[in-house]
Amino acid sequence: MRRQSMSKALVRRETISGYLFLLPSLIFFVGFVVYPMIMCVYTSFFDATMGKDRQDIFIGLQNYKDLFKDPAFLKALKNTLVIVIVSVPVTCAFSLWVSSAIYKMRGPIRSAFRCIFYLPVVTGSVAVTVVWKWMYNNYYGIFNYVGKGLGLIEKNINWLGDERFALGCIILILLTTSVGQPIVLYVSALGNVDHSLVEASQVDGANDMQVFWRIKWPQIMPTTLYILVITTINSFQCFALIQLLTSGGPNHSTDTIMYYIYYQAFKLYHYGYGNAMGVILAIIIAIFSAVQFKLAKADTSY
Amino acid sequence: MSEVIIKGLKKVYEGGVTAVHDVNLDIADKEFIVLVGPSGCGKSTTLRMVAGLEDITDGELYIDGKLCNNVEPKDRDIAMVFQSYALYPHMTVYDNMAFALKLKKVPKPEIDKKVREVAEILDITQYLDRKPKALSGGQRQRVAIGRAMVRDPKVFLMDEPLSNLDAKLRNQMRAEIIKLRSRINTTFMYVTHDQTEAMTLGDRIVIMKDGFVNQIGTPGEVFDKPVNLFVAGFIGMPVMNFFDNCKLVLDGGVYYAEIRGARFKLDEFQQKALKQNNQQSCDIVAGIRPQHISVGQGDLEAKIVVNEMMGSEVHLHADSNGDEVVMVIPTVDLKTDVSMGATVKFTTQPKLIQLFDKASGNNLIWYDKASADACAPVCKNYIF
Repeated sequence: MRRQSMSKALVRRETISGYLFLLPSLIFFVGFVVYPMIMCVYTSFFDATMGKDRQDIFIGLQNYKDLFKDPAFLKALKNTLVIVIVSVPVTCAFSLWVSSAIYKMRGPIRSAFRCIFYLPVVTGSVAVTVVWKWMYNNYYGIFNYVGKGLGLIEKNINWLGDERFALGCIILILLTTSVGQPIVLYVSALGNVDHSLVEASQVDGANDMQVFWRIKWPQIMPTTLYILVITTINSFQCFALIQLLTSGGPNHSTDTIMYYIYYQAFKLYHYGYGNAMGVILAIIIAIFSAVQFKLAKADTSY
Repeated sequence: MSEVIIKGLKKVYEGGVTAVHDVNLDIADKEFIVLVGPSGCGKSTTLRMVAGLEDITDGELYIDGKLCNNVEPKDRDIAMVFQSYALYPHMTVYDNMAFALKLKKVPKPEIDKKVREVAEILDITQYLDRKPKALSGGQRQRVAIGRAMVRDPKVFLMDEPLSNLDAKLRNQMRAEIIKLRSRINTTFMYVTHDQTEAMTLGDRIVIMKDGFVNQIGTPGEVFDKPVNLFVAGFIGMPVMNFFDNCKLVLDGGVYYAEIRGARFKLDEFQQKALKQNNQQSCDIVAGIRPQHISVGQGDLEAKIVVNEMMGSEVHLHADSNGDEVVMVIPTVDLKTDVSMGATVKFTTQPKLIQLFDKASGNNLIWYDKASADACAPVCKNYIF
């Protein structure tokens, strides 16, 4: 209605100023997101070396074909899926549990808990990793010290150097850094659940568990969905931890796709090959997110 | 199907604010009781304590003879309709209504029968598959009532259930609640700030202010025998006219009310009650309901400022030497010129004058109910 009554010149001016306001972030978005994405897909069809030694050669889908014959890639894919399948549900469940315990507490106490769990998120990942590396240390790490002290282990374990434990250790660190955000989100989501709904269900005869699962859980479903998606994406993109702790070893047992991309592209200069993996990773994440949306949507459609 | 007994109920919130002081109330089985008062008077808090949604700081609450102070809401067998309706947004209307029965593990066919029966009564059968979001305010209201009805609760609590509706719908729903009441046949506690709702719905009305109960009585009682200035001003539309700085005069063993120089010899029952209290001459606030004023003759005079023709009656806003006076005159009785700017004489019947002690604000006749009832005449015909 309002637009119809405005003169054409005014509409044009509004449109122009609208785009002008968008321009700064648009430049960054195109320069650092859209263009690299297109380049990524584009170079994945080349035997590209980033100009090192020789010109890029167009090889079509050869990179993709090679990928699925590369045992290291398949192992990285498996590791990545293990990380996602373990860490996403654990992160969600743990943060939901912590949040539902602390959201009713008084302001300062609640803030203290939120701080504690959020600290690893805002602390530089290098600092966090160094501390963990020290705790996992074969000779003077606290895990070995406590483990031996309690009689749980007989001799020192090289946590990060042992194929059996390395990936688990990585996942443990990943959990500590990824629960912060979901906890903060869940605390606020639980706090925002319409209290009269909770009261209505209590009067209707629901006990605490029933109130939680029948009333609060559906109410915080959008938050759960968001948390699932961001945790999934973060887990898929687990990289800094690997690079700082194990560099994918021992024997590729902690390789993730993200780390393997880095390794192929920047260590071995197989630029096109790395980009092909990037495309595959993006497709997998997209499929996972779509499935999560589909599943959760069924519950949130109100 | 049960009575509610409230003894010395008190609520002190964390931080020391006392929301409810010493409420005493005996609600009979199947009685419809209305708690009414301005916002912040503690009426909702009282209701929520009965529901178990607020802890009881002090006092005792009995539902059906059982002490319920520390009983969880889910075990009190009460149903509540919330101001915001509090319908579960992720469930259909059917599931909203069936929720409580499902929790009680009632067999499915029985739930189905009950829900459909109630939906039929409330005329919401065609909406059973919808989510609350897809309903209008009035329909949501019905669902909220339906959700409470399927329970067959011991006590039916309603917390300002009509305040989110527009005026027309509110009147309609009010009438429906009156109709429903005869079908549901249980004990009701109803909270509202609207005196019209209170008067039309309640068997008895509890008038609260600042956490204190001011008066408990039938609609007739609170209208005709308000115990203090607050109740007199709160109940009745338009609001009672108050004449400040008047006098109660005891002259030769006879009581008179002096209002703006006009002297009214009080009625027999007033004489008796005042004499029994050994009341001396004092300063009073005199209260006269707009409906109890007649124009055309009398010792008082006022200039009409606004004339509102309502059809069957006319509302006059007049200025009587600085006092603002509202009069409601049935159109059929109107024989005087009451156009704007006209000056009219008016008066009232002495027995209809309410006498409030200026210092305390209490009604000189009705505040001490026990002695007043002994002298009271049979209730007059109420004019609403």
